[in-house]
This record gives sequence, structure tokens and C-alpha cells, in this order.
Amino acid sequence: MDTAAILETGAKLAFVIGINLGFFAPVLAWVERKQSAVMQDRIGANRADIFGFTVIGLFHSLADALKLIFKEDFVPRGADVTMHRLAPMIALIPALMGMAVIPFGGTYEIGGHAVNLVVADLDMGLLFVFAIASVATYGVVIGAWASNNNWSMLGGLRAAAQMFSYEVTMGLTIIGLLMYYQSLSLVEIVAKQESFWNWGIIYQWPAFILFLACAIAENKRVPFDIPEAESEIVAGYFTEYSGMKFIMFWTAEFIEVVTISALCVVLFFGGHHCAFISDAGLVALFGGGDLGNILAMLFGVAVFLVKVCVLIFIQMIIRWTLPRFRYDQVMMLGWKMILPLSLVWILFVGVAILTGLMPTPA
Amino acid sequence: MEAILFMTFAAVAIGGAIGMVISRQAVTSAVNLIVVMFALAALFAMQDAHLIAALQVLVYAGAIMVLFLFVIMLLNVREKEGRATTRNSTWQIVAILGLTPVITPVMAFFSVADVAHAPEAPADFGTTAGVGKILYTSYLLPFEVASVLLLAALVGAVILTKTKLR
Amino acid sequence: MAITIKKIERGPKLTLWERSFVPEILRGMWITSRHFFHNMKTLTQEFALGGGRSKRSIMTLYYPEERPVTPVAYRGRPVLVRGANGLEKCVACGLCEAACPPHCISIVGAERDNGDRYPTTYTLDGAKCIFCGRCEEVCPKEAIVMSDDWAELCTYDRGEMLYDKERLLRPEASLARRLAFLRNNAFSKARYQ
Repeated sequence: MDTAAILETGAKLAFVIGINLGFFAPVLAWVERKQSAVMQDRIGANRADIFGFTVIGLFHSLADALKLIFKEDFVPRGADVTMHRLAPMIALIPALMGMAVIPFGGTYEIGGHAVNLVVADLDMGLLFVFAIASVATYGVVIGAWASNNNWSMLGGLRAAAQMFSYEVTMGLTIIGLLMYYQSLSLVEIVAKQESFWNWGIIYQWPAFILFLACAIAENKRVPFDIPEAESEIVAGYFTEYSGMKFIMFWTAEFIEVVTISALCVVLFFGGHHCAFISDAGLVALFGGGDLGNILAMLFGVAVFLVKVCVLIFIQMIIRWTLPRFRYDQVMMLGWKMILPLSLVWILFVGVAILTGLMPTPA
Repeated sequence: MEAILFMTFAAVAIGGAIGMVISRQAVTSAVNLIVVMFALAALFAMQDAHLIAALQVLVYAGAIMVLFLFVIMLLNVREKEGRATTRNSTWQIVAILGLTPVITPVMAFFSVADVAHAPEAPADFGTTAGVGKILYTSYLLPFEVASVLLLAALVGAVILTKTKLR
Repeated sequence: MAITIKKIERGPKLTLWERSFVPEILRGMWITSRHFFHNMKTLTQEFALGGGRSKRSIMTLYYPEERPVTPVAYRGRPVLVRGANGLEKCVACGLCEAACPPHCISIVGAERDNGDRYPTTYTLDGAKCIFCGRCEEVCPKEAIVMSDDWAELCTYDRGEMLYDKERLLRPEASLARRLAFLRNNAFSKARYQ
């Protein structure tokens, strides 16, 4: 392992973690407040200021973080102290790890060296994401258990049941897409979407709808947010967590929103590819050579981030439009509706590929 | 490098296993078992069995252990009902750690596998494509039998818990 | 045991497409998105492009820069009316004290040299007051009315919320709107004849 490779991976890792924790998490907290406010014909929080500059309410995220850091950190009586401290970490770490296999750019020749803009190029990247998502269930279960609170316990168990039933379904909805791209590697799937007509959304739009529904249910966002129904059970499974621990649960939820958006972009919307420009054409557009590659890389990352932001916007619209499902409706939707539909879609895709109805991308 | 990684993961697995056996609370045992599952997945990954590593985390650590935790939490297994003291645990740990270097070489000596003359692994060993190919061709019968077994377990569970309708 | 089964019609029959709620969800998302983009446009026009107040479509008031104009029937904090001669109109009859549901008023009355009664101490506990307006309703002398004070009543000290007579008094001219409302609209004219 030469130092250049280590430096490169370190830089990519720093970028991914930095942009998640530093940009997306606070900005998402702001977007949630402001977008919901503007959609509901009101202004939202815009009064927190530093030296008189209120930057349309962005400082509220900073104020929130500072306030939560200074809050008293307690463990409820009778609760398991180790588990209580462990649960937020188990919730946050998988959320961050999921971003390791998502390619936020393509492969560029910089300084005679091929730079692949993904932290870990695994040949089963998608399976890795699902495996890590299934670990996030433990944050909920252990968090609920460690609260020594009956209602948190029940809420946590329901949450865990919801999460892993939608994990099963999420895996099945993606199989049609995998048959279409014939690879589990996210880097390869993005590489095959260079042409606009190979984008996942064109031939696999039912899989997109089903996958988005399952992913939102997995993340416990509205309309599937029974586990943390704010207006009903205070905060559900993380009622007894304050201060830094609450920030970790909250950040984990927002980072999972980003991960879901990034996954949807990579699988269905072409990743970093701009619609009708090929990779080589883009580099040539920027002048070719090292500088052209660097500019194309920055442009690719920018396109990727814009697409992720659009999908986050769509998820926020869904959140503030739909009412909450009842728990038995959530379970019924997962097992009795989305699962059979995804099986039907797999069958259809299989037949379509064999008969040539759905041409697979090269 | 590989030796260091192997030692680390093996130590984590053994530590988790011992923790699972000697811990007084059922939830702590389950969490230790989860740690063991992760360490095993890491060991699988080191052996180039990537798919099995991912499936270990996805299925075992991600779903089966969650259900274990469910049962423990729903039944509210308390400390008193499980192992009561750690007084005997020291002897247990000593016994396990002391006997392992004795038993393992004996087992290796009598094992059937011929490690020195093992066949060369194919190029796509451990990848999804490789495993998928042989799973659906050479090993199709065990695959189908396992599916039928799981179906039998599923149907049995449903029948056991079904309440009689009027 | 034989059971008779009666089929109940539970509302309109939905087609399969309607039952999937996909068109309804999309319609809902379209409505909220429309609100979002319209409000973004007017907010940008109001602030960034300097269009000002006229471009505002969101009805939120920017308190404390803008305050709402309360209607004339609004029941704010109770205040004592200072008559034309500079003295309070209150004659310490005790009707408001009796009518107050949380018993927040306490009066100690006395008589002046010319025979007029007046309250030596009039204490209204602002922390207990429920702003119901019964004191105003029963007062025979229009001596206590509900003002339009609703903001900035909070203090850091509960002792400060115990209003005494001097803090409660207000000149009659400043309460003309409320008094006119009481005379003309609120209660029967017979009381004021």
C-alpha cells in the first residue's frame, strides 16, 4: 500500500465524511424547518443571528448543535449504562459507513494516475449498503432497551420490526434493476449509465417507486414514522436521550436521508453523469489533459450533489404532504403490497430481458 | 499485515464468545454474539469470500440476531433467571483458553482435508457471480432443499401461532 | 348460534388505480409543491428584490417589528380607568372581586372626606388572571376595562406580576375605543342608562 493510495483514500474519506457531517446534516436540519415552513405558508425559524447577520435561518442549526452539546447528559435510573451510551453510536456509525461505497464521481486520469471517486470499490457494493442498513436496526433496538421505559421499549420493537421487514422488501425491489445492469457493483452501475437512455429511471421506474417507499420506511421518516411519532409518543424510542446522544440519533436519521438520495441517484438517475454528454466529451469540453480532468471531476461531483439535493427535496415534500400510517398499515403495505409487486416486477424484467423487450445496457 | 488483521479479528471473536458465555444479562450476551458475527464476517472477507461475509452481516447479524434480541426483550429475561454469579467464570475461561491449544492440533491432525494439495481457487471465487453460478448449477438440489426446509419452518410457525377463527 | 349478517355500504367504490392512492399522493405533492414555489417566489420578491410588504403572500407577521391590530372586542390585561378629575373611577364596591373566577383581585376600600368611596389598595394578580372579562362585565362604574395589552406581560420575577393600583391606572381618553364598544355593542343598553 503506497502512500499515494493511502493519501487518496484518506482524501476521499475526508470529503465524504466532511460533506456529510459538515454540510448535509446541518443543512438538512435547516431545510426541514424552512421547506416545511414555506410549504405551509409560514416563514420558519429565521431569527438566530451572529453579529446581526441572520443568514435566512442557517444559524439555527448551529444554535441547535450548541444547545444540545451543553445539555445535561443523563442515564435514566435502572437503565443499562453501557447500552445507553452504545446505542447512539450504533445508530450513527452505519449511517456514515453506508456512504463508503457510493461513487460520487467517475474515473479520471490525473497525473497519469486513475482516480476513482469512490472510497471503497467493492464488487458487491449494493449488498454492502444493505448489510450496513440492517446493522442500523440495532441502534433502535438497543436504544429502546437501554431506556428502561416501557413505551420506548414497545416503540423500539415496533421500529425494529418495521425496519427489517422493509429491508427484505428493499432487497427484492432492487433485483429487477440488478438483472438489468448485471452487476452488484455501484461503480459499474454508474459507469453503464453514461448514456441517458441507460438511466435506471427509464426502464426501471416501478423499481424506483417501490425502492423509494421501502427506503423511506427503512429510515423511519414520514409517512412511516410511527417509531418516532412526534405528536403521539414524544420521541418514541429515543425519548430518554438528551444532548449529544440525541444529536447522534438525529444526525443518523438525516445522513440516512442523504444515503437514500445518493443511492437513488446512483441506481436510477445516472450518478454523476450529465444527461447528454459522454465522459470523454466532458473532458474534451474542459480542455483535455490534467486540468480538463480535474475540472470534469469537479463538474461531476457538482452534478451528483445537485441530483442528491433534488432527491432530498422530493423526500421532504413527501414528508410534509402525507399523513402518518398506522402500524398495521405499515406492515401490510410492506409484506402484502410491495413484496408481491416487487416479485411480479422481477418476473416481468426476467421475461423482458430474455425476450429482448428490455435491452440491457452494455 | 494479514497476520495482524487475523489475530485482531480472531481475538475479537474469541472475546465476544467468552463474553457471551459469562455475561449475566441476556441482552449483553446477545450483543456479544453480534460482535462475534461481525468478527466472523471479517474473517470470511479475509479469505476472499466476499459474498459470504456480506451475507453473514446481512442475514445473521442483521436479521437473525435482531429477532433474538426481540425475544429476549419481549420475554423480559431478567438477570436473576439467567446465570447468577461470575464466581465460576474464571475457571471456565481458564479451561477454555487452556484446552484450546491442546485440542486444536489434535483436530487438525485427524482432519480429512488435505490443505497442502488443495485445488487452485477459480478466478471468481467468492464473488457474487462465482457463487451464483455454482449455486444454481452444481449445488441446485441443496439450495432447493434448504428453501423447502425454511418454508416448512415458516408454515410451522404460522400454524403454531394461529388462533382458531370462530 | 345463527348470526344474521348485514352488509353495510362503506362509502364509494374505488377503482384499483384509485385504491393505490398513487394519483392522490401525486396530487397532494403537487399542491404542496405549488405552495412552496409560490411562496419562494414572493419571499424572494419581498426580500431579495426589494419588493417590500406589498409582495408578501404569507400572512405571518414579523413580530416584534410588526404588531397585530387587535379587534375592539379583544380582552387584554385588565386596567383601571382614571377619570376626568385624575382620580380612579373605582368605588371599591367589590363586585369585580366577587365575580373573578380565580380570585385574583383584592380590594381594601375607604371613604374620602367628601363621602366618596375609593380603594386604598387594589391588587390584581396578573399571574392568576384568566382574562375572562367578568370584572369588566359586572363593574357598575366602568372603572375596570380589558385593555389591548397582550404582549410583554412576561417577567422574570413573579412578584412583579402582582399589579397594584398605580400600575393598573390608565387615563380614560386612552380607553375610549373600548368604552365606546362596551356602551354600544357589548351588553344591554339598560345598564348604562
